[in-house]
Amino acid sequence: MRKTGIGRKIIFILLVVAIVAVMGVLISRWVRLREEKPPAEVQSVPEGTRSATLFFASRQADGMLSETREIAVGYDIENQIKAVLAALIEGPRSGGMVSAIPAGTKVLQVFWVEETQILYIDFNAVLVSNHPGGSTGEYYTISMIMKTIASNFPQVRQLQFLVEGYPVETIAGHYDVNKPLDIMTWK
Amino acid sequence: MARMTEKFGMAAAPAAAFALLAAAIAALALSIPAPARAAQGRTVPDRTLGVVYADGRQTENVPLYRLEKPSEELFISAFDLARIFRATRYWNPGTRKLILRIDEDRFLFTLDTRVVLVNNEPILMRIPVRYTDGLVMIPLEFISGILSARTGGKIDLDETRLVMTIGSPQYNVTGIEFMDEENGSRALISLTDELLYHADSETPGLLRLKIYGGRLNALKISATRCKGLFNRVRAEQAEHDSYLFFDVQRSASRFRVEFVDGDRDAGREGQLVIFLEKGDLPEIPEADYAGRKMTEIIEEDSRRPGFDLRKIAIDAGHGGVDNGKIGDSGILEKDVNLEIAYLLKTSFEDEFGVEVVMTRSGDELIPLGRRAEIANSAGADIFISIHCNGWFHPDAGGFETFFLAQGRSEYDDRLAREENASLKFENPDLKPGELEDLDFILWDMVQNEFINESSALAELVQRELSEEIPIRNRGVKQAGFMVLKGLKMPAILVEVAFLSNPEEEELLQDRSFKAGVVEGIVEAVRKFRGTRSGASSNER
Repeated sequence: MRKTGIGRKIIFILLVVAIVAVMGVLISRWVRLREEKPPAEVQSVPEGTRSATLFFASRQADGMLSETREIAVGYDIENQIKAVLAALIEGPRSGGMVSAIPAGTKVLQVFWVEETQILYIDFNAVLVSNHPGGSTGEYYTISMIMKTIASNFPQVRQLQFLVEGYPVETIAGHYDVNKPLDIMTWK
Repeated sequence: MARMTEKFGMAAAPAAAFALLAAAIAALALSIPAPARAAQGRTVPDRTLGVVYADGRQTENVPLYRLEKPSEELFISAFDLARIFRATRYWNPGTRKLILRIDEDRFLFTLDTRVVLVNNEPILMRIPVRYTDGLVMIPLEFISGILSARTGGKIDLDETRLVMTIGSPQYNVTGIEFMDEENGSRALISLTDELLYHADSETPGLLRLKIYGGRLNALKISATRCKGLFNRVRAEQAEHDSYLFFDVQRSASRFRVEFVDGDRDAGREGQLVIFLEKGDLPEIPEADYAGRKMTEIIEEDSRRPGFDLRKIAIDAGHGGVDNGKIGDSGILEKDVNLEIAYLLKTSFEDEFGVEVVMTRSGDELIPLGRRAEIANSAGADIFISIHCNGWFHPDAGGFETFFLAQGRSEYDDRLAREENASLKFENPDLKPGELEDLDFILWDMVQNEFINESSALAELVQRELSEEIPIRNRGVKQAGFMVLKGLKMPAILVEVAFLSNPEEEELLQDRSFKAGVVEGIVEAVRKFRGTRSGASSNER
């Protein structure tokens, strides 16, 4: 009988352990619920994300089409612009859109001058040397960048293209980009 | 006993194992499905909000939630809100705070709290921010009550219809009204800026007005009731320009379009006035009507009395190390341009007996600014630049004609002001009236004086080319082309066809296609000369 008593004790202890285990899981889940796990899409990018609308051209080069994407960005405007331009240069994800930025183009630096509201974007020489030519191609190269900046960074009023640190007359022989271009009146 | 114990022990062990297993299963059942359920069984949206963007983004439907039934209050997820307004989001799970940065403003929300800190200033909402199924939910009143006030009227939220418009476009063609008079009828089109326009009446009974850079509400304008000689108006908004089409009565014989300056102080906008003149003759019978067009009344002073086409400058695009576009077959744009330029030269000399100046005569690189100098110093009466187009995809095709966009940027204005301020400083004795004549105008602005003629020539070239060549008509456009800047004469740039399009690349090597291009341009110049020189004013 004593042995049976011990056996019962063992069963009792095991049951207690089981109950504690179940309780523990329940409590931990309850605690976790109380903690309110942040929404997954926010949690994954602690430094902040923003949606950006990127502008590309139609296949027949008769208008612009846009794509909205979530992009991980830094805090200050220069880093945000760099991140958005990097996504733009990467190209469109949807079909039926064409990028007019030559392959291999990179943004070297972005300078934002708050007082004059002029944004300077410094590209590598590939923007010019690898440009296939044609005024339509050149128009959309400029427009993709102008419209994307206009639409995502309303504080920018003028944009100055730079190539390897210096202004250029044109990117492919037609459009005058020697001076800052007005973002709002560009068409 | 030992056997009993053993038996019991054996019975106890499975029992314990069972209990542990049950616990483990319970734990698994409770912990694993939690995220899965959050993903699948998300709070079901109760309504949707239609979002219309003015920046070119696709119109979309965004879910809204009624979280506190039976209350009608609607919530929008912070995820959607951030996407719509392009906010940057920051989340702090420890303090249960969410930050949205929209443009220059910072909004800080705390879960289950009614206070929103707007740039550290507390604003109270009627209901608190909530959290449900992995989503931070923000009451819709945040948009209507807090956000819209900070964006200066860029957000229009209709809470009964649940439609939100963001960044309403700014119209510069704001309205139209009609007036009937004894000798004709007028259409008065209100403009906020002075815009360039082009009117023609190529189809009998139809007057077409193109407003460069115009932005209008096509529905509103098309719904306007007409009067007098105007039967009907239809407005269209294209990507860059606005179009107005007027159905006019047959007794209208001539038309005139002019811009009348507004008076900003009196709050009166500028107006584009279309005047339709009643003809002396009775209505023309149906049978004779088909070929009859309205003619444009051209004021004597708008003609250049001395305009006589004696010299034409032709500019073959690119050259030298600058090949321009290279076709798949290896043909170079610079060569095609030069070939067409020479064909055009011969044709101009034969047809009009004029002198032709070439900005480049061989395969050489002439800087863009130098080309304008060559044409200006030769005293050319018109300037025509010949190019072939290129695109990143073979699908694009067609021909288009450009004239210079009036590049009046703030930067240009600032420079001009600085130059003129120093002029006044250097000549303090000048009277204000004398100053205006002496004001510097920027080199780039020189072409502005000829902009109406350039646009008329561009329209003519485009129309004549459409008769001659079998590819897509891409229309007349304005652009800030370097080569057109500083030209002291009407100037256009023709993009003949796309070298990136295999069919058009072939056409550009075809003799009859090139002959068609030349024929079209020559015809356009002939008509341009006819409308501009005083001697032929009776021709129309």
